[in-house]
Amino acid sequence: MATITANITLNSDITSHSISETMTMRKLGSTSGLDNSTGIALKKFTSTNAVAVIEQDEVTDSKASKVYMRNSGSSKEDFFYVAINASAAAATTTETIGRLYGGDWMLIPYEGAVNLTVAPSTASDMTLEYGLFYE
Amino acid sequence: MATTTATIDITSAELGISLNASTNLSKTGTSTGLELMDAGYGEVTVAHGAKALLEASQVAGDQDTSNYFYLSNKATDETYYLIVKIHDQIVGRLSAGDWMFMPWSQGDGDAEINITATNGTCAYEYAVFKSAYTLVDAT
Repeated sequence: MATITANITLNSDITSHSISETMTMRKLGSTSGLDNSTGIALKKFTSTNAVAVIEQDEVTDSKASKVYMRNSGSSKEDFFYVAINASAAAATTTETIGRLYGGDWMLIPYEGAVNLTVAPSTASDMTLEYGLFYE
Repeated sequence: MATTTATIDITSAELGISLNASTNLSKTGTSTGLELMDAGYGEVTVAHGAKALLEASQVAGDQDTSNYFYLSNKATDETYYLIVKIHDQIVGRLSAGDWMFMPWSQGDGDAEINITATNGTCAYEYAVFKSAYTLVDAT
């Protein structure tokens, strides 16, 4: 059994409220840790075409899978759309999770029933760092 | 201008993973820090069914923007988990003790974030950081 630990810290001077949490990634309904990971990969994009970076058949549906993504760039104007969809919708749909600007990251539970796709906002070189953790 | 910093590290000696990342959360398409934040604690029971934790703005100018969402399942029984959805689309299952952090574009007025407790009552902590929020008319 592997041990995968993820820590988050959210500090803001909007208020004095800060958040610091640790989790050990575990199988759904179990105290056993997740055993598998794709590792952390890098993918370079040179067009605005949507790409499925996490495919639904990589994991069993409805488990405790988790996905990490980070826009490794530094631009606060360019971003990746991230969507739970076969093709990342650009805007105005409920399937689109959100925008990852330069340096932004996310860690979410992943249902595994639909692909996770990303679409760059520009055809200029952009790089996505990502990884999948699963049972 | 406010400064909000989100930092993560993920480690696994067995799987050879060690990463650390940090970002300052900014308003849509700029380097200006976000200034709107909401945070709190709550509890959702199985009997509640799906409950909207965060409603998407109905104002077009607030939609498809840069916002960030944090949620932690504070349940301690490992069999209790939260199903997290954006409207009808399941994002995933958040086990007891787990947290998540993601951008949330509020793609349209139906893109609310809703949660459903499974197997038992789940206490939770949440926070949302927004680029903009247009006040609605008084009723």
